Amino acid sequence: MLELTLQALFSGLLAGGYYATVAVGLALVFGTMRVINLAHGELVLLAAYVAYAAETNYGINPVMAIPVALVIVGAASALVYALLSRIHQDREINSLILTFGLGIILTNAILSIWAADIHSTSNAWFQDSVVVADTLFAMNAEVASFVGGLVLMAGVWWWLNHSWQGRAVRALSSNRAAATLMGVNPRKIEILSFLIAALLATFAGFAIYTGKTVFPALGHVLTVKAFIITVLAGMGSIPGVLIGAVMIGVIESLTVTYLSASLQELAGMILFLVVLFVSPSGLFGGGRALAR
Amino acid sequence: MTTKHVNRLLLIVALAVAYVGVPLLFGGNAYVLGLIVAALTIAGVAVAWALLGNLGGMVSFGHAAFFGVGSYTSAVLAMKLGVPVFAAMLLGGVGAAVSSIAMLPALRLRGPYFALAILAYAHIFQILATEMTPVTGGAGGLLSIPRFPAVFGVDFGEKTGGYLIILTIIVLSGLAYDAVRRSSWGLALKAMHDTEVATRVVGVPSTHLKAAMLALSAFITGVVGAFNAHFISFLEPDYAFSSGWTVLPIAAAIFGGYRTVWGPVVGALAIYLLDQLLFKPIMPHGHQMVLGVLLCAMILFSPGGLMPALRRRAAKEARHAHA
Repeated sequence: MLELTLQALFSGLLAGGYYATVAVGLALVFGTMRVINLAHGELVLLAAYVAYAAETNYGINPVMAIPVALVIVGAASALVYALLSRIHQDREINSLILTFGLGIILTNAILSIWAADIHSTSNAWFQDSVVVADTLFAMNAEVASFVGGLVLMAGVWWWLNHSWQGRAVRALSSNRAAATLMGVNPRKIEILSFLIAALLATFAGFAIYTGKTVFPALGHVLTVKAFIITVLAGMGSIPGVLIGAVMIGVIESLTVTYLSASLQELAGMILFLVVLFVSPSGLFGGGRALAR
Repeated sequence: MTTKHVNRLLLIVALAVAYVGVPLLFGGNAYVLGLIVAALTIAGVAVAWALLGNLGGMVSFGHAAFFGVGSYTSAVLAMKLGVPVFAAMLLGGVGAAVSSIAMLPALRLRGPYFALAILAYAHIFQILATEMTPVTGGAGGLLSIPRFPAVFGVDFGEKTGGYLIILTIIVLSGLAYDAVRRSSWGLALKAMHDTEVATRVVGVPSTHLKAAMLALSAFITGVVGAFNAHFISFLEPDYAFSSGWTVLPIAAAIFGGYRTVWGPVVGALAIYLLDQLLFKPIMPHGHQMVLGVLLCAMILFSPGGLMPALRRRAAKEARHAHA
């Protein structure tokens, strides 16, 4: 019983790591543009499929496919930005629907190129298991992605706090007009936030492809999950998003362990609604700017 | 003739064509009529979605929730309690409206928060329908749901009869929508769309109005879902709560113009028939991509939808003709 619980907690923690990389990208873009990019999960999925295509067609290790995926996802993300920035009328509703439409395009493009089959890496190393502390099992890929994700997020966190451009991102998030008056070029910073989001999405796509399975409908699921996490964390800070992501990961894996796999999504959804209704600014206060 | 008269005349002609012309033309062609009924089913949800978006200012990504609840309520009432099918269909709408009570806390959320909270409800309802096996038949679904009966010599269980039912549902929904929009409620809702705080200050109970719009939208969607259940006589959770019941109506409403009453209906017919007759044969997998492209193109180039764009164009040409 205890062992089962510990294992569930451990698996949930690892899953939370990659959920967080997805969610931080969503939150960054929301910070600078006040727009929820509903195609964000599809960008993650695109990266995963690039890794898949590289591995099956050219026999390239998924790690080596990351740069290629980065270019493709970065271009796609920049395109999302270019289209979004053309919306001026009824911005809130129209940008939601635009990114929703872009998500449909990406999902169906992936569906028509790679069919609806479920894929995961054929590289044996990623799927070998490691044993942590004698009792806890995980795949190499899960541990590697978790550590890699933490390093990446720490890097973004440092960048947000210590670089000029990172500060500009935060300034734009907290007060657009004032930031612009202080010499921040909003368009430059907005596109930068989309590119950082693409970087995180690429990594998350790699993590899913090596540690989990990918299929076309997953993009939408990831977007929703990332949104739920940012709601839990209140769009506040990277550490907050990480905690929210681990919470979702743990709750899901406990649900799968003790109830049923079909209820996995339900747990997250209910938690999401409860937090929305009880404390709409998130569990960790009403912070708006990222990284604090 | 003023535009008001022109509009009324257009509506009467459209109704005559819909009630008399279409059954005469396609009555014998079960395939085409089936497609039109399916398109109108989408249209019904699209009208309800647009009502919520236009009057209530709320974007929902979870109308499948109401569609599913309506269809299951009606099917279960007719199958297990022997409620007459037409009455069950209306009760399906009531069931969906009642389910919207659970969403009342979501009304104070804005924009994406509301949209995704409703999506969460749709997921939760779908899982509940799957897990409540004794009532809903679980993942296996419900088979041989009673069809519509024959009344006054018209067999409503047939394709033509079904067509007349869904057409009537849409016409009544559209008229109800129009009536609300013209009423003092409509005015208050329009004011709310501009500035909610100011509207509250002058004493408009904005939350009540939004709740009423949500319930009305849920009712229409529920009735349409219930119609569909009895028309195809089969239900399963993945189908009844499918995201298709959200995606297609949104595309239809945006395409036709979600700030107009009849735009979503035109949009649904155009989008569904194009999708099924043109794009599906060309690319069997991923043909919904075209919907995404249409959706994005509309938002970018004509956010008001096709109907207002056409009307603007017609007005422009009329001006040129006069000059």
